[in-house]
Amino acid sequence: MSADVSMPILIVDDYKTMIRIIRNLLKQLGFEDVDEAADGSEALNKMRGRKYGLVISDWNMEPMTGYELLKEVRSDPALGKTPFIMVTAESKTENVIAAKKAGVNNYIVKPFNAQTLRSKIDAVFAD
Amino acid sequence: MALIDDSAFCRELNEIADYIQSLRREISALQANDLRHKRIPAAGQELAAIVKATELASNTIMECAEAAMAADPSDPAAYKALVTERMTAVFEACAFQDITGQRVAKVIETLEHIEARVSRFADATGAKDANGPASDKEAAEVERKLRLFIHGPPLAGDGAGQAEIDKIIEGEAKSASQDDIDRLLA
Repeated sequence: MSADVSMPILIVDDYKTMIRIIRNLLKQLGFEDVDEAADGSEALNKMRGRKYGLVISDWNMEPMTGYELLKEVRSDPALGKTPFIMVTAESKTENVIAAKKAGVNNYIVKPFNAQTLRSKIDAVFAD
Repeated sequence: MALIDDSAFCRELNEIADYIQSLRREISALQANDLRHKRIPAAGQELAAIVKATELASNTIMECAEAAMAADPSDPAAYKALVTERMTAVFEACAFQDITGQRVAKVIETLEHIEARVSRFADATGAKDANGPASDKEAAEVERKLRLFIHGPPLAGDGAGQAEIDKIIEGEAKSASQDDIDRLLA
C-alpha cells in the first residue's frame, strides 16, 4: 500500500524555513494538502479540528516539543492511530529509542533529502 | 604568651588583608562590567545578525528555486532568461556566507577573551566549581532538557546516522546501553 497523495499532512516545526523546505519536497512527491504548526500545542489543536493522514514533526520546539506531541497523540483515542514521522537534528540513540517507545512510525535525521523523505513515507504506509 | 598570640593574630590579619587586596585586583582584572555591558551584548547582536542573514539568504534561494520550478518552459527564450535571472540571484544570496563568517570570527574572539579572563581569575583565586546548576531557572532548564531528550544538533560523528536510526526503528539494532535504559525508566 502506498501513501494517498490527496491526504492532508501536518508539518510541525518552529522554523519557517524548514516548513517551507518540507512543503516543497512534499509537493515534489505529489502531496499538495499541507498544513503547518509552529509547536506541539498548536499541532494538537489543529489535529483536534481536522483529521490528518500524516504528521511530520520536529523534536525541539517550545513550549511543547515533538516528543511530547507524539505522546499526547498516542494517548488520545481519537488521534492515536495517526501516522507520525519525526524529522529532527536530535540524533542520539536514546532519542530514537524514546521516540520508538512512544510510538513513532519513522524517524528522519536532519539534514535529509527528498529521497529519504519519500522512502520513510512509503515505509510508514507499507506497514 | 599573650604577645606571641597577638603577633600571630596580626600576621594572620595581614595575610587576610593581602589576600583580599589580591582578590580585588583579580576581580578588577576580570572587567566584568565590560563583559556584561559591552562584549557579551555585542556578541549576541552578531549571532542575531547571523540568524537573520542566513534566514534571508535561505528565503531568497528558495524563492528562486520555486520560481524556476514553476516557470513555463513552453517559451524557451523566456524560460532561459527567467532561470538565468533567478540563478544570478542565488549566487548573490550566497554572499551571506562571507559576511556571516566574519561575524562568527568576532563572536569567537569574544569567547576567547572571556575564556582568558575567567581562566586567569580561576587560577589566581584557586576557585573550585560548585556542584549543580547556578539558579532555580537553570536547574529547571537542565531538568527539562534531560526529561525531553533535548540535546540539539550533534557535532559530526557524535550522533547516530540515518542507517543506524533505521535499524533501531526497524528493530534490528543492538541492545540499548544501560544509560539508555536508565534514561527511559527515569
